[in-house]
Amino acid sequence: MDDSAKQVLRKIIRRIPSNKLQNILSKWEHLSKKQFRSLEFTQAKWLLCDNLLSLCEENDLSMKHVTELEMIYRIENPAQGSWNVCQLIDPSEEAVTVDSLTFKDSFKAHLKHLISHVSVKMKKHEDNAIWIRIAWGDNFTQPNHLNPTYVVHHLQTPYVFVSGLTAKHKPFLHQALIPSTHYGGLKDVHLSGRCLTALRDLLMRQYKQAFPVKHPRLLQEKSPVPSHPNIETEHAKHTEKRLQMAAEAFGEGILPKLETAVYKLETRFRENGMPGRREEPFRGVVKFSSSNLLESLKNCVSSGMASAPVTPLLSSITQKGRNYFVITDKGPGVSHTQGRKI
Amino acid sequence: MEDARECLGEGVLKHLNVLEVEALALSGRQQLCLQQQSRVDDLRIMVEKLRAHRDMLKARAKTNMSLQHLKAVADQRNVDCNEDDINAGGSSRTAQSQLSFLVARRTQVKDLLQAHHFIGGYDVTETGRGKGVYISIATAFEGLYLETYNLELDLGHVVQICRHNIPPFIPLEKLAQVHLQTDLMDFLSALSDHLNAFAGRRQQVCLIQEVLLGSVEVMESNVLFNTIVLMCKDAGENGRAILCTLEYSDLSRYLPTKVTIESEDQDLPSTPWWKESQSLLLCTPAHKAFQALKMKGLIA
Repeated sequence: MDDSAKQVLRKIIRRIPSNKLQNILSKWEHLSKKQFRSLEFTQAKWLLCDNLLSLCEENDLSMKHVTELEMIYRIENPAQGSWNVCQLIDPSEEAVTVDSLTFKDSFKAHLKHLISHVSVKMKKHEDNAIWIRIAWGDNFTQPNHLNPTYVVHHLQTPYVFVSGLTAKHKPFLHQALIPSTHYGGLKDVHLSGRCLTALRDLLMRQYKQAFPVKHPRLLQEKSPVPSHPNIETEHAKHTEKRLQMAAEAFGEGILPKLETAVYKLETRFRENGMPGRREEPFRGVVKFSSSNLLESLKNCVSSGMASAPVTPLLSSITQKGRNYFVITDKGPGVSHTQGRKI
Repeated sequence: MEDARECLGEGVLKHLNVLEVEALALSGRQQLCLQQQSRVDDLRIMVEKLRAHRDMLKARAKTNMSLQHLKAVADQRNVDCNEDDINAGGSSRTAQSQLSFLVARRTQVKDLLQAHHFIGGYDVTETGRGKGVYISIATAFEGLYLETYNLELDLGHVVQICRHNIPPFIPLEKLAQVHLQTDLMDFLSALSDHLNAFAGRRQQVCLIQEVLLGSVEVMESNVLFNTIVLMCKDAGENGRAILCTLEYSDLSRYLPTKVTIESEDQDLPSTPWWKESQSLLLCTPAHKAFQALKMKGLIA
């Protein structure tokens, strides 16, 4: 085990919280059962780390194995750092038949052809997602294993989830992904967030959507003695309508967890309905943030704080699957549908 | 007291002896009494239990009889009961006709459902004051209902899909380009074929994992379930592993278009019975085909 591998292992162990360390190491499969049992997880981390390092020396492990450990940790805890979503476009006929083995080989070959010093590791997760860990280097330096890029892709779907990618390496990733998935191009979906599963659920439409129903469900009566039956029914109707609208716009049950939504305004300033004298566009950014944005917005609508039906600006988050919008003067339709039409 | 005095004369010890004997006899009698009492209680509980059981069996027999009777009647003249029937007759009669009403209603609903599926089977609801429609497409495999997918269409100058919950690997955009503007029914039937085939393929994999647990293992599959690799063992003594790859290039069908069988033993795939099983896999759902192979004793 060389010094750089040791250093990387130390940093990785430092990043993993103590309470998760035992579980992660048990999944690593590079320590014998006896060795694993000899580790004491109640010890201080640096001491534990020293013991672990000596075990790694004993087993003659290398950087390859160390990166595997980091990958296991990241797969188990994907909600770290921000994830961006890209969409593959123009699929060719072969796109639906790519299997994971050919994809792996082809992706690696393409990337190594583009850039010489790069370390790629791939793993197929239980839910059929392929996790790719890329440590980038350049012509003169070894791959940097401390800031790897993570890519998650479900074959046969057009979505690619990327975390920790710098602008410098973006073209390399795109050029390797496009041919190995048999698509024609890759574009940004303008959706980002910390929770990977939420982004996936939103785009794969795995969250519970509400659709209009032929036989609306009755709202359960909350108070047993209505103050006035007419008022009650009137209110109940309104509440029901509001709740249905809110559910149709954002979904039912547990909603995907998004943290932010950004609206960039590039409109001209208008005075009394007249186009402003100033030709300069009026620039502004409106940013909504919350620990669970969709839940907050839904609550605003269902409690009556925001008017229903929900403005397309807000309902576009779920329907178009993006949380970054640019609003220009040509009418909201143009810039909105820039992303995905369906 | 008199006794006591007499006894005292005879000696204290003797008196105590007498008392002890009496006490023993008394406690013996008491115990016997208690035992009898508890036995009676037990028996009484037992009687109650048996009685309740008898009543239950009686009731079950009665409902069974009446159901059989009703079934016979319903089969004979395909009952179309009116609500008036409920009011006719005495109390037992009312209960019976109520039951028959329910049975008849059930058959009616079943018929309706069947008819609904004959004519296309889409649930359509008008939305936004007639500006749009909402359509739900139910999927089923071998008579079992699976997921229902929904989509909302905007019926303007051009028909547009505004909202849906169809997974992204179904080629919705492609289907929409081909059919949506020209023929809505064509579009829906093509989409329904794709969704049903997808649900069917997924259900086959689920069934293999459930029914053939321990004999056939799913090695590899993907989100679209269009390439499935299965592993099973030859029934022979050495139990050679057999790898079976099912490829579904027609995404609107739940049967494979290509079946490849590989084994450590090079000659095995070309043996007549494996050739036969290969063609069986091409025309039968995978879980049924493998069950048949297991019955025949081809795989362990």
